[in-house]
Formats: sequence, C-alpha cells, structure tokens
Amino acid sequence: MIGETESTQRSARSELVITRIFDIPRELVWKAWTDPKHFMRWWGPKDFTAPFCEIDLRVGGKYLNCMRSPEGREYWSTGVYREIIPMEKLVYTDSFADEEGNVVSATYYGMSPDFPLEMLVTVTFEDYDGKTKMTLKHTDLPAGEMSEQTGAGWNESFDKLAGSLIRRKG
Amino acid sequence: MVTQSMRRDVFQALADPNRRAIIGLLANQKLTVKAVAEHFPISRPAVSRHVKILAECGLLVVHQKGRERFCEARLDKLNEVSTWIEQQQRTWEQRLDRLDDYLNELKAKERK
Repeated sequence: MIGETESTQRSARSELVITRIFDIPRELVWKAWTDPKHFMRWWGPKDFTAPFCEIDLRVGGKYLNCMRSPEGREYWSTGVYREIIPMEKLVYTDSFADEEGNVVSATYYGMSPDFPLEMLVTVTFEDYDGKTKMTLKHTDLPAGEMSEQTGAGWNESFDKLAGSLIRRKG
Repeated sequence: MVTQSMRRDVFQALADPNRRAIIGLLANQKLTVKAVAEHFPISRPAVSRHVKILAECGLLVVHQKGRERFCEARLDKLNEVSTWIEQQQRTWEQRLDRLDDYLNELKAKERK
C-alpha cells in the first residue's frame, strides 16, 4: 500500500468526503483521473474491468465510460466537467448512461428509481509532505420529484432538518 | 455505482420541501393535522396528503383521538438515509483501493 486512508467522514448526511494520501507525485494522480488510458486501469470495483473510456477534458466537456462486471454485465456512466484546475481540482457530474451516452435512470440497470439521477463529484489534489493528498467529495441528489422541486436546496435544508432532529433526540 | 439502493420510501418522503417542513415542525411536538395545516400556505387536503405519505413511509404516525387526528414524528426512520451514504462510501472506498493499487504499479514502473 502506498496510499493510506487518512480519514473518511460524513460531513453531512447527504454528502460524503474521503481523503487519501498517495506516495506518488500529484501529476500522476491527476493523470489517473483524467487520462482514459490510465483511468481504465482502475475504474470500477474489484474484479471489474473498464473496457471503454472517453474524456473531453474541458469545462462543459463530457465523459463516457463503461465498467464490466466479472459476469460480463456493463454499466455505463456519463457526466459533464464543471470545473477543471489542472493538478488541483476536478468537478464533474455523474449519471448512469446507455452506451450512446444518454443519461438514464437507475431503473435502466434494474436499480431503484430513487437512485440519484445525478451526483456531483469534486476531487482535489494537494502536495502533502512530498506526497499527494487527494480529497473526494460526493454529493448526490435523489431523483424523482426532488430534482424538479427543490434542486440544490435539498442538501442544505436536509442537513438543517437532520441537525435539528439529532439535537432533539440527544 | 452498483450499490444496492436504499429503500426508496424515506428519500421519497423527504424529497418534498413541505414534507420536510412538516417533519421539522413535528420534531418538537405532537400536533393535529389541522394544526399542522395552519403552518402552511397550501390547502388542508394537500397537507393531509403529505401527512399520509409521511405515515406510509414510517416517518410519522397518526393517532385518532376523538375527532382529532394527532401526528407524531418517528425520527428513527431518518437513519435509513445514512445507510444510503454508507453504501456510497463503500463503493468509493473500493474504487480508491484500486486507484491505490494502480498508482503503486505506476510508481514501480517509474523506478525502472
């Protein structure tokens, strides 16, 4: 292991933050995320392969990738890059897709219709004592009536709600 | 990505801002459906509908007391939302483990 899990925490109920330290230059970690050749080597859970990956690395540019389970089932994902600061920060949306790159709901893959239609992923890269500190933030928006009605307001209001309920219980 | 989805109920119940507000209101007190409705600009039947959905999802229970219907929040149900996040977390940890392995490979190659 060259990486170590420094911390994993839930900063809020609908947001996930994972920090890892990799003993390798920032440039290579950046490449692993943004160069299809490298990306395909690690994307997906254990024993999955990534047979396809296209990345249009510019703000507003799309990506499309595929991961294949050991049983041969394919899961395609697509999204749009929202922010790109080379070697420092990458922000993109993440949705299920068909192999043409059209966004599909989770039901396409036999999952619950309440799987978020779109997730937002923010990855930051920092020098850290000669190593690279990578922080990944994942925020999801549940699909369905939620995305029509409340959009981005969801996280904030739900955090407040959860907070007030926890205080009351405690 | 291939995580099993959480039970849909709680998310669906909380997807609506009025329903979140209703739960927030009930967090500190039991209220009749009528009293709940007074806090919202929407019609009473609309409030009743939201209360029904929240009850179906287990986020509140309605007690009939004479002619009044009292709503009481069931806050434990909210924990299901954190289960969802935990599943997402596992998925990401697995991916990052592979990234870690791959970077390790890259590093070994660089040394050669």
